[in-house]
Amino acid sequence: MSITLDIKYAARLLHKKPAFTALTIFIVAIGLGLTLYTYSLLSSLVFKPLLLNKDSAVISIEAEFDPSHLSRRGVDAYDFLTIRNELDSIDEFGIYENDTALIGKPQNNAATRKYNAVQIEWNVFEFSGVKPIMGRALIAEDHFEGAEPVIVLGYDVWQQYFLADKDIVNTSILVDAVATRVVGVMPQGFAFPMTAQIWIPIAQKYLTPTDRSRSWLFSYARLKTDVSFDVFSQELALLNKTVVKSLPDNMRWRLDDFEGYLRAVPYKKASITQFYSIFITMGVVVVLILLLACINVGNLLLARVNERFKEVAIRIALGVPRHRLILQMLLESIFICSVGGFLAVLFAGWGLELSNTVFDQMFMVNQEKPFWWQVSLDTDAIILLVLSVVAMIVITGFIPAWRALSCDFNGVLRDGTRGSQGKKAARASQILVISEIFLSCVVLVIATILLSTSYSAGQADYGVDTKNRITATLELPESSYPIRSDTEFELADTLKRTAFYYDLQDVLEQMPNIEAVAFMSSLPGTGEGASFFEIEGRAAAVYNENPFSNNEVASRGAWNALGMTVIQGRDFSLDDISEEIDTIIINESIANDFFPDGDAIGQRVRRAMRNVDREGGWQTIVGVVSDTFHGSAMRTSSEQYSSYFMLDNVGFSWINMAIHYSGSQVLAEKSLQQAINQVNNNATVYHIQSYDELISQPMILVSAISKVFLLCGVIAVFLAASGIYAVAANSVSQRTQEIGVRRALGASDSKIMQLFMRKALWQLVIGLSIGITLSLWVVNQMTDTMVINQGSYLIGLLGIPLLIVIMVIVATYVPTRKVVLMEPSDALHHD
Amino acid sequence: MNNNNTENSTQALVSLKDITKVFFTDDVETHAINNINLSINKGEYLSISGPSGCGKSTLLSLLGLLDTSSSGSYTLAGHNVSDLNRDERSAIRNKEIGFIFQAFNLISDLTVAENIELPLTYRSDFDATQRAAMVNAALDKVDMLHRAHHFPSQLSGGQQQRVAVARAISAKPAIILADEPTGNLDSKNAQIVMALLDQLHQEGATICMVTHDPRSAARAERMIEVFDGKIVADQLTQAPTAIAV
Repeated sequence: MSITLDIKYAARLLHKKPAFTALTIFIVAIGLGLTLYTYSLLSSLVFKPLLLNKDSAVISIEAEFDPSHLSRRGVDAYDFLTIRNELDSIDEFGIYENDTALIGKPQNNAATRKYNAVQIEWNVFEFSGVKPIMGRALIAEDHFEGAEPVIVLGYDVWQQYFLADKDIVNTSILVDAVATRVVGVMPQGFAFPMTAQIWIPIAQKYLTPTDRSRSWLFSYARLKTDVSFDVFSQELALLNKTVVKSLPDNMRWRLDDFEGYLRAVPYKKASITQFYSIFITMGVVVVLILLLACINVGNLLLARVNERFKEVAIRIALGVPRHRLILQMLLESIFICSVGGFLAVLFAGWGLELSNTVFDQMFMVNQEKPFWWQVSLDTDAIILLVLSVVAMIVITGFIPAWRALSCDFNGVLRDGTRGSQGKKAARASQILVISEIFLSCVVLVIATILLSTSYSAGQADYGVDTKNRITATLELPESSYPIRSDTEFELADTLKRTAFYYDLQDVLEQMPNIEAVAFMSSLPGTGEGASFFEIEGRAAAVYNENPFSNNEVASRGAWNALGMTVIQGRDFSLDDISEEIDTIIINESIANDFFPDGDAIGQRVRRAMRNVDREGGWQTIVGVVSDTFHGSAMRTSSEQYSSYFMLDNVGFSWINMAIHYSGSQVLAEKSLQQAINQVNNNATVYHIQSYDELISQPMILVSAISKVFLLCGVIAVFLAASGIYAVAANSVSQRTQEIGVRRALGASDSKIMQLFMRKALWQLVIGLSIGITLSLWVVNQMTDTMVINQGSYLIGLLGIPLLIVIMVIVATYVPTRKVVLMEPSDALHHD
Repeated sequence: MNNNNTENSTQALVSLKDITKVFFTDDVETHAINNINLSINKGEYLSISGPSGCGKSTLLSLLGLLDTSSSGSYTLAGHNVSDLNRDERSAIRNKEIGFIFQAFNLISDLTVAENIELPLTYRSDFDATQRAAMVNAALDKVDMLHRAHHFPSQLSGGQQQRVAVARAISAKPAIILADEPTGNLDSKNAQIVMALLDQLHQEGATICMVTHDPRSAARAERMIEVFDGKIVADQLTQAPTAIAV
């Protein structure tokens, strides 16, 4: 009965101040919602080990991450065999190579379609604990030399391309124009190792290699239950030393700059190494937001207790038991945190749904979404929420209860007047304000720098005209266009491939809506990653002290379609198809920086490698083209120097293309498909999108995370502004009588204002010093993968502190002014 | 009722004419002070008494420029202070008025000496040395010099009030306004504080004290009684100090 009275009373108090109630619930919901959302996101994407229906985590063994290309690096099959033979800690192990494949139907003349393929070891399905829904999995015999080509289809391929044909198993389909028997269909959602849509047995030569090769393979593994990841990493590090020592000179390109090669890494982390620091930053930011929310709610409730001192004193005078008083204080917190927690679930659930939609959009074109990138609220998250709610109730309820119990109730009852805020309370207020300042500073600086950098990258001049341009990837079936390397047919085979591209270009350029066509290995705005080159007569003593440039393969006459121009010299020509003189075109930046006298044409350069054997022949510079930027402007792997090799001499089986069109984009896409059908309908075109969309692709994840940071930033501003105002108002309110005394003693308004503003400025100095230092440290953690421009630093490190200064000054000025404007007699008798 | 002192004194330090203070609460209009006329001469020791809620504290607030009247005029030391702005009123309070409050109202984060120095720091005519001398003199007068560097929380109630008296007199104000100065004290400490006020009066200070303790009121040389916002009695007493003067 008595507790019912307390509950009623708490409800009445909350109802009496609806704005306070709504504000505190909102703050709790935001803090907990963001925490829940980020925990679920980071847990699904990064931290929660990939178990795949078993107890032990899946790990990846691969080569050290390549920071210059921001990409994972594969391992030689020979070294994987060594690992398999020498490391007893491994329980299960398999290797694979990521690939794409063109799937076709032999029985009719249907168009082929590109899918993400993986050439993989037969044990993959057993390893993942998933069985096919139709047919069988791969078996060891499928790898043998001369075995019938077989394939296991993914559910979506079966559903969409083969229209859920129930008799698909044992039928023959075309895989890169080779007849291949379908042996099984996997269940929906299965895409292990990452984005696979079809599984093809890897060649036996990779499973039991007898010598080193240029193979580029990855692996999946599980450790024995009694072996920890750290112990295994140490074992692998020891083996790595042996492997590195045994590497012949012509294979030392596999090593990184620190002689590193093999590494073990948690499976999920391996796929996002380049974004890992950003995810960690996101986690830090959200923890700070949660702290801000806790401080705000705690402060609001503390302020409320200060208002209720008299009531508490009366209760104590009436003999309230201590536990009843604590319970009374806790009831409000329980209500606020519980309702806030419930709203947080809705908020987080909505955010996760939105994230799934963003992920689907992100990977719509390239279909490369890792299969575990499907986020939802799982049991762990709900447990975390319950624990967080309990922690918040304790923090936000017990602190005010303690404050209420520790007050001098006799003094309050006798005479509420005290000259000044207590020392402890004053110090607590200062700590609260400083905490709010530095926490909001960190969140806002990081959010602003990231947003500004992301925005600048989007607005950066990549040196190409993207208007009325579409891009696509074109792939030829290798079986129809083989290159017989190191034979007399090599050049002819190469030219056969390139002839297809030029034929396609001719057909397209004859169409009325097509202006120009370009083929390039990676179009400007994508394909970052540089290699060292040396200039004849100016080679550095060590290979990696030479300058470096991005290297691309380009078709003849590619420049016009991209809005680029030949500035000096000439374009590639048919005369350059020659074994005697290898030609190269450089961009304007290389010409300006290394040939400032305008004498680049005719000079010779070549690629500089770690091992002398792999240095290519000399290439003669025949032209200089306008600058372009390969890769996003915000990635450290992007480079302003670019060199172009002629497509005719390389003959890739796939190539990226850009089409300059007039009229509508849809018509241009139709024209492309028509032209391909006209030239050779075995070729497959995919990743068709506008040039602007292409440029946004490399940073699409960072852009999405930036939006989360923006949300965090907006929330931080709201929390900081309301929190600092509440702390300042509470602090000023507690000092109302002191202000009255000072006024009575003759202090002018300005003197009183100065007193509070000086204190606020001092808190600003401390808070901003800590905040800016911490922000710089966090931002520095991101610079291993991101280029942060000076403008972003300026906005972040000057603009945000300025904003916080204004915010704190206003938040201090307004409540202080309000009290100062009271008549001294009112201030002296303020209750 | 003897109103001679309130009307025609040429020596008046304080002169209130037709002062009214009206409070509005919702639709209710309360006349806390109702058309009061009052003069206080330099060197006078005056007590204001009356039942709770009669308006005596409001009257003291108006006298101390802690509040503004709704109508009427107020002259202090020959200057009309009715229409001053906030800062001008602050300056007058600082120079001409010393306050002693019932609840002492010392600032707990400042030491005894700093509390006393505080009003002196609000004006520019004293340097640090002068201020220190004035603080020491004031503390000496209330016999609290030995506690100069203590904080208020380390003092008894009586000691705190003596510090408050020292603060009130440190700048040698024209008038000392005391609002129930013994209200929070035991009889022994109350006696010490009242003796201090007597001593200040004997040294020439003008004191106006609100009290409803008849014994304290009796120590003043002139006693005013307020009821329902009006002065209902204004008479000289046979106070020992008055007799002495």
